[in-house]
Amino acid sequence: MNVGVAHSEVNPNTRIMNSRGIWLTYALGVGMLHIVLLSIPFFSVPVVWTLTNVIHNLVSKLDVRSRTRSQQTDRRAGRREGLLIVGSPMCLCFILQGMYVFLHAVKGTPFETPDQGKARLLTHWEQLDYGVQFTSSRKFFTISPIIIYFLASFYTKYDPTHCFINTASLLSVLIPKLPQLHGVRIFGINKY
Amino acid sequence: MASGQQWVLVEMVQAFYEAPAYHLILEGILILWIIRLLFSKTYKLQDSSDLTEKEIEEIIEEWQPEPLVPRMSKEKPAPSYNIVSGPPCHKITVNGKQCINFASFNFLGLLDNDRVKNQALQSLRKYGVGTCGPRGFYGTFDVHLELEDRLAKFMRTEEAIIYSYGFATIASAIPAYSKRGDIVFVDEAACFSIQKGLQASRSHIKYFRHNDMEDLERILKQQELEDQKNPRKARVTRRFIVVEGLYMNTGAICPLPELVKLKYKYKVRIFLEESLSFGVLGQHGRGVTEHFGVNIDDIDLISANMENSLASVGGFCCGRSFVIDHQRLSGQGYCFSASLPPMLASAAIEALNIMEEDQDIFRLLRDKCKLIHKELQGISGLKVVGESISPAFHLQLEQSSGSRESDVRILNRIVEYCMDRKIALTQAHYLEKEEKFLPPPSIRVVVTVEQTEEELEMAANLIKEAAQNILQ
Repeated sequence: MNVGVAHSEVNPNTRIMNSRGIWLTYALGVGMLHIVLLSIPFFSVPVVWTLTNVIHNLVSKLDVRSRTRSQQTDRRAGRREGLLIVGSPMCLCFILQGMYVFLHAVKGTPFETPDQGKARLLTHWEQLDYGVQFTSSRKFFTISPIIIYFLASFYTKYDPTHCFINTASLLSVLIPKLPQLHGVRIFGINKY
Repeated sequence: MASGQQWVLVEMVQAFYEAPAYHLILEGILILWIIRLLFSKTYKLQDSSDLTEKEIEEIIEEWQPEPLVPRMSKEKPAPSYNIVSGPPCHKITVNGKQCINFASFNFLGLLDNDRVKNQALQSLRKYGVGTCGPRGFYGTFDVHLELEDRLAKFMRTEEAIIYSYGFATIASAIPAYSKRGDIVFVDEAACFSIQKGLQASRSHIKYFRHNDMEDLERILKQQELEDQKNPRKARVTRRFIVVEGLYMNTGAICPLPELVKLKYKYKVRIFLEESLSFGVLGQHGRGVTEHFGVNIDDIDLISANMENSLASVGGFCCGRSFVIDHQRLSGQGYCFSASLPPMLASAAIEALNIMEEDQDIFRLLRDKCKLIHKELQGISGLKVVGESISPAFHLQLEQSSGSRESDVRILNRIVEYCMDRKIALTQAHYLEKEEKFLPPPSIRVVVTVEQTEEELEMAANLIKEAAQNILQ
């Protein structure tokens, strides 16, 4: 289905990532977040890339209070001005956390579905394409955090601290996407 | 600016050459992962089937289709229907004979009321016959809004919503609120429409014995223990109790005050189905809540059929605005069925007017019920099942003859005996294979306000005679 058209899809969440223009919107959205972070004068170039990485993977997984808390710690970390065009490595880490929340933490649908709540306990990733693995949108969304990670690690000059944060954030996003972890809730977290 | 850029780029590329080994190895693994991902095929997770292609073909070959129409066996002849010509009012013409109607749910006699008929004809001339559309698609007329308003005012709730088919009212209301994973506690004698609503809702259904509050409390306690073991799951499950005010299958009245106590003790919501008790119980005909003096705000949803006392078609649900408004988008029968024909909506409004003007008919109806109930006590072979003030009660065989078919045949003979002598009775028919708890075969006797005391006595004597002749 394409977003904004009449469709007979019982659960639009399953097909939304196949819609026309969603991948481009997603890429542009990540770029926009990156530019916004770059314009904050307090963050250094590496800081901004890591932040992008982490926010992308986290966004609103923690509630609003904790998010501002993590931004504050990063503000204290870097002080140099960022160069606009060259880009900023560190903050990319933050971008990844956004993906985690929307795809792997939040369950169910924001609208009522006519199937009496079949997807109430499934995360968005598990709902995509009705559980079919390795479809093209799933591949795209698995590869995009890896690309962001490559860019982030390049621009942070492979600094160990940044590397640790970025790798941890990347793993937190890649592991739930494995087909073996479909429907798995570790330690009963997020089960109901 | 360009030289500044180049300097930074050189620095970056230098850093790449000096990168730590573990990091480069990790990136190499990730690149291999990407390549593997790009070349993997899509597959469904539950795809593993134990049968090979050949076995699947064999099974398909073996299958023989059943005939479209199953063969009729000689013991079970095709069902023969009693054909009614004319309206099913007080005097009904069945199979060509005119009888007194003891079978239709025309409790207040509004079916043949002149005022109601005139209002319906006026509305027919104004609006035409049908609405040709659901409520959301030019199917909402002013009579619908007026009827909803009048019903809400009559039942003293905040809002009401109209459905165009009585069976679909509760069958759409239950799945609008109760979804997969929710729990519904329902009485065993719930009518067929409630059962279909529960089936559509895909929730966990727990039955308790008919009108047995201790049984209900027992399963509520069980549920509470399970909730304590798994509080996170309990926080997201909704719990409902579905009961009828006056049960169609048994003629019993639900003990509403105890139910409200259980509701607040175990935190469950009550859905009350008042098809038979609306316009029958209570001082002003407001149903079982008025009968027991229970505050109507304690009941979360009241759903009723307009096809019985109101002598119209369709149904309504009433309750708080917050609850009823949800059905305007989630009630499947509301959103996806054509709305109630305006002729019938006007007829219902006029019937409500009559109900509001003449408060005495409810007491009259209850007195007549008590009269015939008393008269029918003590018939040998038949027992009366139902409350004394219930206008629809059942006559069941005291001693079953062994099989359901022979019971049905015996009762049929009683019904035919009465019909030959100008009293129209009916057996309670069920879809035997579809009912969860099939009630025993019975004759359902309906008392209406239009029947005179002589007619009631005549009917009682006739039934006694029939029972003596046929069951002895």
